[in-house]
Amino acid sequence: MAFLQVNHIEKHFGSTKVLENISFSMEKGQVLAIIGSSGSGKTTLLRCLNFLETPGSGQIVLNDEVLFDGETYHAISDEEQRKKRLHFGMVFQSFNLFPQYTALQNVTLAPSLQKKQSAEEIDALGKSLLKKVGLENKMDFYPCQLSGGQQQRVAIARALALHPDILCFDEPTSALDPELTGEVLKVIKGLKGGDSTMIIVTHEMEFAKNVADRIIFMADGVIEEEGTPDEIFGNPKSEKIKAFLAKSLETI
Amino acid sequence: MLTFWEQFPIVFSALNEGFVQTLKLFFITLLGALPLGLLISFCSMSKFAPLQKLTRMIIWIVRGSPLMLQLLIIFFGPGLLFGVPIWGGGESGRFTAAAVAFIINYACYFSEIYRSGIESIPHGQYEAGQVLGMTKRQIFFKVTLLQMVKRIVPPMSNEIITLVKDTSLARIIALQEIIWAGEAFTTTSHGISGQVWPLFFTGVYYLAFNGILTILFSKLEKKLDYFKI
Ligand SMILES: Nc1ncnc2c1ncn2[C@@H]1O[C@H](COP(=O)(O)OP(=O)(O)OP(=O)(O)O)[C@@H](O)[C@H]1O
Ligand SMILES: [Mg+2]
Repeated sequence: MAFLQVNHIEKHFGSTKVLENISFSMEKGQVLAIIGSSGSGKTTLLRCLNFLETPGSGQIVLNDEVLFDGETYHAISDEEQRKKRLHFGMVFQSFNLFPQYTALQNVTLAPSLQKKQSAEEIDALGKSLLKKVGLENKMDFYPCQLSGGQQQRVAIARALALHPDILCFDEPTSALDPELTGEVLKVIKGLKGGDSTMIIVTHEMEFAKNVADRIIFMADGVIEEEGTPDEIFGNPKSEKIKAFLAKSLETI
Repeated sequence: MLTFWEQFPIVFSALNEGFVQTLKLFFITLLGALPLGLLISFCSMSKFAPLQKLTRMIIWIVRGSPLMLQLLIIFFGPGLLFGVPIWGGGESGRFTAAAVAFIINYACYFSEIYRSGIESIPHGQYEAGQVLGMTKRQIFFKVTLLQMVKRIVPPMSNEIITLVKDTSLARIIALQEIIWAGEAFTTTSHGISGQVWPLFFTGVYYLAFNGILTILFSKLEKKLDYFKI
């Protein structure tokens, strides 16, 4: 069985169907990119994986452990949900750093609340993660003193600090000035190959092509097409994806 | 007729006595209204619609009508309504009634400040805490509380400085606060008659006290200046 198995996820907001019969799977160490036009449900899908939204039905199975099952959902306690949630990490489009903490404190806050490691270990972990994202000399800066690109890299380090099985990115560069996207994408690319398994929602087609092992194209709440970058970009089948790719290549 | 320098110590000690009453009312109001306001703000954000509506209605009434009127209603109302004055006689009865009116009034103002502070925290802050596996408690105490405090301090300090001045309204029910003590000299008090300057001089007390509060609040604001929200 695959590392992550998502089966028939459905999500409605009132009468709007946002996700319909979403099924896919991925292996450990893979990078999955999700592309698709605005409103197609990409964010909602990531939020379902992180338990920020509750799917109406379907299943999420990670490493043979059923994390979510629409049939039995009501039985989950807050505590259980928090544990399940920790399998996934999330990097938000708008960073959502904690403004009153320094870069280092942002990274170490959650591990220190879990009290599974000593303060020294957590401190060392935080420093090594910030180094990994290229911010070893900004550790004591507050978010307001950092550029958008630097803030997003802190957010990546913060998500890594809890060693999630799968790290999700929701358009990590779309709130950034164009000249800052490169530094963030480079960091994400650098995570590949380690044991990081990643799901990346992105509008950066070049990036998806270069980094992803598999690509999912979503349209109107369904997975319209799925394949390797070569298949998706080289030989797209559905009309929707052809139109989408043509549009994203348009230069203005 | 006493000279000004003979009047001064007499007036000074009488005004001090009045100012003690003023300060007592001020601190008791804070002590009661700060926590009560928080409770009211939670009720006004309750997901239980009847409680939310009722609370917002009460806040609207209290904020929409003069505090002076509320003082009169709370002081005289029970006696007129039930025929039994519940506040007891004398200065201590008046003080209790004044404190109750002030606490209710200011709790409603504070509750709106709390509410705006709580509602101003971007939802992303809660979600960031959630995906990092924090409990609701941890998110409140470690993530959002300080951000709320930072938002709340400026409007709170305005409101608290207004409270200092508003305590003078309590003289409508003859509470012997500092304006009352100063005004007494315009007729006769402590053997001094027909003097207006003691009343004007009370302004010095208000200015001095508010000056101290302003300094304290701006220190607090500076302390929270290291981060931006
Ligand atoms: N809380 C909500 N309540 C109601 N509708 C919602 C809610 N969240 C999302 N939607 C709707 O669900 C649909 C999918 O939204 P979603 O944010 O997942 O799209 P997206 O693919 O991430 O788009 P974008 O590329 O613009 O970020 C949209 O039509 C949106 O209006
Ligand atoms: Mg989105």
